[in-house]
Amino acid sequence: MSTTLVGAVAPIRAARAAVHSPSQKAPGAPALIEAKNLSKTFFVHKKQPGLLGSLKALFRRETVRKDAVRDASFTVGEGEIVGLVGANGAGKTTLVKMLAGIIHPTGGDATILGYRPWERDDRLRQQIALIMGQKASLWWDLPAADCFMLLKEIYRIPDDRFRTTLDYLVEQLDVGDELHVQIRRLSLGERMKMELIAALLHQPRVVFLDEPTIGLDLTAQRAIREFLLRYREEHQPAMILTSHYMEDIERLCKRLVIIRSGEIVYDGALQRVVETYAGHRVVTAHLRPTGEGRLPMPEKLAALGEVIEHAETIVRLRVPRSEVAAAAAAVLEAFLVADFAIEEPEIGTIIEKLIGRQGADVTPPAEGEEGEGATDR
Amino acid sequence: MMRARLFLHVASLEARKAMTYRVDFWIQAILGFAVGIVMPWFLWTAIFAESGQEEIAGFRFEGMVLYYVAIALLNKLIRGPDLLSAVSQDIYEGALSRYLVYPAGYLPFKYAQHVGWIAPFSVQLVLFGGVVLFFVPDPATAGLSWTGIVMAAPAIAVANLLFFLMSYPLQAVAFWADNVWSLGVLLRFAAGLLGGGMLPLALYPEWAHDALLWSPFPAVFHLPVSALLGRLSLAEWALGLAVGLGWCFVIFAIGQLVWRRGELRYTGVGI
Repeated sequence: MSTTLVGAVAPIRAARAAVHSPSQKAPGAPALIEAKNLSKTFFVHKKQPGLLGSLKALFRRETVRKDAVRDASFTVGEGEIVGLVGANGAGKTTLVKMLAGIIHPTGGDATILGYRPWERDDRLRQQIALIMGQKASLWWDLPAADCFMLLKEIYRIPDDRFRTTLDYLVEQLDVGDELHVQIRRLSLGERMKMELIAALLHQPRVVFLDEPTIGLDLTAQRAIREFLLRYREEHQPAMILTSHYMEDIERLCKRLVIIRSGEIVYDGALQRVVETYAGHRVVTAHLRPTGEGRLPMPEKLAALGEVIEHAETIVRLRVPRSEVAAAAAAVLEAFLVADFAIEEPEIGTIIEKLIGRQGADVTPPAEGEEGEGATDR
Repeated sequence: MMRARLFLHVASLEARKAMTYRVDFWIQAILGFAVGIVMPWFLWTAIFAESGQEEIAGFRFEGMVLYYVAIALLNKLIRGPDLLSAVSQDIYEGALSRYLVYPAGYLPFKYAQHVGWIAPFSVQLVLFGGVVLFFVPDPATAGLSWTGIVMAAPAIAVANLLFFLMSYPLQAVAFWADNVWSLGVLLRFAAGLLGGGMLPLALYPEWAHDALLWSPFPAVFHLPVSALLGRLSLAEWALGLAVGLGWCFVIFAIGQLVWRRGELRYTGVGI
């Protein structure tokens, strides 16, 4: 469904200020992840193409500054799954890498469970996990069971707790038959399930999920989503999820952080994005054939809303949210209706526009901004 | 500091991995050993024949060949495989990221893998060593004794640790330069040439020989091989060990410094 969104004004500064408000966290949940003005700048070398470019680069290279993340501030509470979305290169993974302690920030500060992640205190590393969908973290030549035994030693998991947790995770993800197969011989979906088990064996309180369902078939994606929801329900960790699959975000996250060109431009409820930008709904009426071969009352339809489709047996109208009830009543009164539906635009479509993937000139809403003010005009 | 239990677990896993591909394991063993002996055999046969001397720098022909046999046998135990280049690969490919998330130090983890990887080569050492002994008519005259073996054991351990530690800061240069394969080759070459791996140090001029004994390189090959062949007095052996251990501390400190500076530049590419 196409939705035109233009220039809803919402200052980014206001959005950032709103990030600090306690209402961002789940009510009553202590913040396990806190980022304050976190920034990361990379300097990357550029090389001109071709042989001449390579020769020149032997003596002199052009260095380009890239602000991957700028002043990112937000908090994540216990039991929350926050969806971190943005286009490729927006800075999602860089942000996750800083929070997981893999890279050092250029500016700002962050604490996870009260520790600075890049200082790599073992007391923190005992309680966090990072799952990278695009990068295997298990040992390629070893069976999963051997990898898990190694992780048991790394995380000092007591025997009985290790056995109980492993049994639980293996049963939940249904990979009992693959435990003794070399990792490199597993399918992508099976490997991802093993990665999840490996990451959760020590029952982390903070979990970073970077594209956990990438490349998986629909069944495997669904299985992993359902598992993550169950795990959240039972263990209440703070989770940050990055994914390009909007279904992951829709199913798993109630809260969304949108990052664009390194800046957080929205941090708030997922539902709020829908309410703010789904300014229109689509009214569809399947009509009983009249046998006259004529299009029914075009002038009346145009008065109700934008006509998307108009044929002898179907009418589709794009109607402002506030006028849906009146438009529906008018359609039902004017036509012989066989079937009738009112549709919301897909969340994925809205988010894709917000992160700029479709090139729309959209400014996402700041927290506190009224929905109507940000609707299409 | 890594716990002994974790160290042994990592080493054990790596040893199992090294033995997984048995064809490669045996081809490497046989070819490496054969090349390590046949080349010096031909070279020194020609040198002794051409010079007409019975002894060169204190080595008779049999003693010289035995020196190279010992180098060929101990080479893998000391230098290990190309696992050391795995450090720069981890940095280059971003695989370092997973180790940074684990509550275990990267350096001890890699050393545990290093030790685990070379452990199966002790099987080769025993097998090939037995074959060599079968061909040595009088081991005692050749300098082989239990005392030598006992003195060689700690020297091999120090040599192994020292070579690993020397590689570490060089591999960490990958934080700046991405590809540091050439530095690894340079280290192997330097350790071979200045540490007695390519030539016995006795062949060098006296001033160079004396100066080299205070450098880290002789502890890599000269010390363990000379100890094994009974060519060191107790005092020389103890001094060699002390110098080797001293360099371990110095190079470890340099490695930590380089690593800490380099790590700030780590970008974790690939995820």
